[in-house]
Amino acid sequence: MRRRAVGIQWCPPPFLFRNREAVISQRRKRYIRDRLNIFIFLLPTIFFVFVFIAFPIGYSAYLSLTEYNYARDPAPKFIGFRGYIYTLFHDVFFHDALLNQVKFAIPYFIATFTFSLGLAILINELVFGTRFFQVLFYLPMIIPLSLVGIIFAWVLAPDIGIFDHILRWMGIKNWNIDWFGNPYTAIYCLAIARSWKMIGFTLIIFLAGLQAIPKELREAAKVDGANFLQEIFKVVLPNLKPYLLIGGIWILINSIKTFELPAVVTEGGPGTSTLTLYLYSWKLAFERLDMGRASQVAYITATIILVLSWVLNRIFRPETARRA
Amino acid sequence: MRTLFNFWRKKRLTLLVLVTFLAALYISPLLWMLNTSLRPTWDIYRYPPTILPRKVTLENYVYVLTQMSGFGRYFLNSIVVTFSTVVLVLIASAMGGYAFGVRRFRGQDLLFTGVILVLTIPYIMYLIPIYMMEDKLGLQNNWLGLILPYVALNLPWGLLIMRGAFSTIPLDIRDAAIIDGCNEFQLWFRVMLPITKPALAATTIITFVFAWQEYMFASTLMTKNQWQTLPVGIVWLRDELQTLVYGRIGAMVVLTIVPVFILFLAFRNFFIKGLSEGMLKG
Repeated sequence: MRRRAVGIQWCPPPFLFRNREAVISQRRKRYIRDRLNIFIFLLPTIFFVFVFIAFPIGYSAYLSLTEYNYARDPAPKFIGFRGYIYTLFHDVFFHDALLNQVKFAIPYFIATFTFSLGLAILINELVFGTRFFQVLFYLPMIIPLSLVGIIFAWVLAPDIGIFDHILRWMGIKNWNIDWFGNPYTAIYCLAIARSWKMIGFTLIIFLAGLQAIPKELREAAKVDGANFLQEIFKVVLPNLKPYLLIGGIWILINSIKTFELPAVVTEGGPGTSTLTLYLYSWKLAFERLDMGRASQVAYITATIILVLSWVLNRIFRPETARRA
Repeated sequence: MRTLFNFWRKKRLTLLVLVTFLAALYISPLLWMLNTSLRPTWDIYRYPPTILPRKVTLENYVYVLTQMSGFGRYFLNSIVVTFSTVVLVLIASAMGGYAFGVRRFRGQDLLFTGVILVLTIPYIMYLIPIYMMEDKLGLQNNWLGLILPYVALNLPWGLLIMRGAFSTIPLDIRDAAIIDGCNEFQLWFRVMLPITKPALAATTIITFVFAWQEYMFASTLMTKNQWQTLPVGIVWLRDELQTLVYGRIGAMVVLTIVPVFILFLAFRNFFIKGLSEGMLKG
C-alpha cells in the first residue's frame, strides 16, 4: 500500500552535471511543485471537509458547553460541563429517548439480522433467479426513509389499513389497532419499518461473505454426510463470522441514527414513546432553538456510537484478522 | 440415484417457493402503495378495504402531474440538488481519490481516517452549526445551501471507492505516462481517470441514491415550501391535505421512486459493489 514518493518528472542525478548547485535547486523546485500538485488535488476534499465537517464538529463541541437560545440570546454563554450533567442526570426526556433507543434497537437488530441472514442463505442456494430476487430485496434501499414511513403508516393504518384488515379476514374478529397511535406498539412498528429498508444493506454484506466461502468446504461437508441444516450451522456460519460481525455492527450503529421515521410518522409521540436521541436533539435545536442542549444530546449520541463501534471492533477484530 | 435426483429437485422447488413467498411478503407494502395509487378515492376509503381495486384509474397520477404545482417544483428541486451534488462529489472524490490512492504525503492516513469518521458521527452534529452558518450567510432556501452540505456528507463514500480504484492501478502506467511527457494533471485526467470508470459509476449511483433520499438536512435548511425536495415535500403535502389523499400520496411516492429505480436497475452492479466495498472497509 505504502508507496515511494516519486517526483513527477525524471531528472538525471546531479553528478552528471557540472553545475551541481543549479540542478539541486531545480530538484527542490520540482519537489515543491510536486507537493503543491498534491495539495491542489486535495483542495476540494479539504474545503468540504473543513467547512462542513471539521468546523461544525468543533463549533458544536463549543456550543455543547454553553447555554444558547438561538432566537433569544445574542451570543452563547459559557457554562462548562454543567449542561452535560443536567442532560445526563436530570433530563427526563433524555432518559426516555435513551430507553426508546434500546427498545428500538432490540427488535430492529433481531429482525434485520435474522431475516437478512436467512434470505442470504436461501438466495445463495438458488440455482436461478438469484439476480431477480437480489434486485427485489435491494429495492427498499432506494426508497427515501420518509416515504417508507408514509408507506408503513398507510399499511398499518387503523380501520382501513390493509394489515388490520388481513388479520380480521384471517379470523381475529373486531381486530383494530392503531399501530402508530398506540404508545406500546409504535416504537416496535417503527423498528420493523426501519429494518425493512435496512435488510438490503446487510443482505449485500452477507451475500458477499457467502460467496467468499470456498465451494470445496461445503462439498466436503456434503460428502461427509452432513444434511442441509448441519452444513449451514457447522460449516457456513462459522466461516461467515467476520461478515456477521460487520453486519451486526452496521445494524447497531444504524439503529442509533433514527430520525426520519419517528419525525414523519409519529413526531415522537404518542407522548414520548417514539422519541429517539436524534429526534430529541433535532427538536431541541429547531423547535426550541436551544442549540446548547441540542449539541449536548448530539455529542452524547456521537460518544455512544463511537464507543460502541470501538468496543465492538476491539472485541471482534482479532477474529477478523485471523481469518483475513 | 433416481430418488436422490428427485430429492434434489424437490429441495430446489421448495426453496424457490419459499424465497418467492418471502419476496412477495417483503415487497407487499410497496405493492400496496402502488395498488392504492391506481384507485379512485372512493374506492380507497370504502370500508371494508379490498385487496384488489374495484376500479383501476390513472386519475391520481394525472391530478398530481397537472393540478399540483408543488409536486413539480419539488421534483425540479430534487433533480437540481441531486445532479449538482453528484457532479461535485464526482469531481472532488476523483481528485481526492487520486491524491489518497496514488500519492504519498504527510498526514495522509490521519486525514483519511478523519474523512471516514464522518460516516459514523451523527449528522445532527453538523446540522446545528451548518444551520447557523447558512442563516448568517443567507444560504437558506437556496439550492446551493443544500448542495454544499450534501457534497460534504457524500464525499467520504466517494473517496473510499475512488481511493480503492486508484490504488489498484499499477504504477508502471504512471511511469510510462511520465516518460511520455505527461504532467500530473494530464496523468490524472487522461490516463488514470478512464481506468477508474467503474468506480466513478459506483460513486455516481451511490451519491444519487443518498442525495435523493436525504430528509433531515432538507427539512431543516429549507424552510420555504418552494425550495423543498421530494422526500420532505411529500410529507408536507400529506400534513397539509390531511384527509382522503392517500391515492395522490401513493402516486407521488411511486413517481418519486421511478427515477431512482431506473438508475438503480441500470447501475445496480456498481451500486452493490460500491456499497459492499465501502461497508466492508468502513
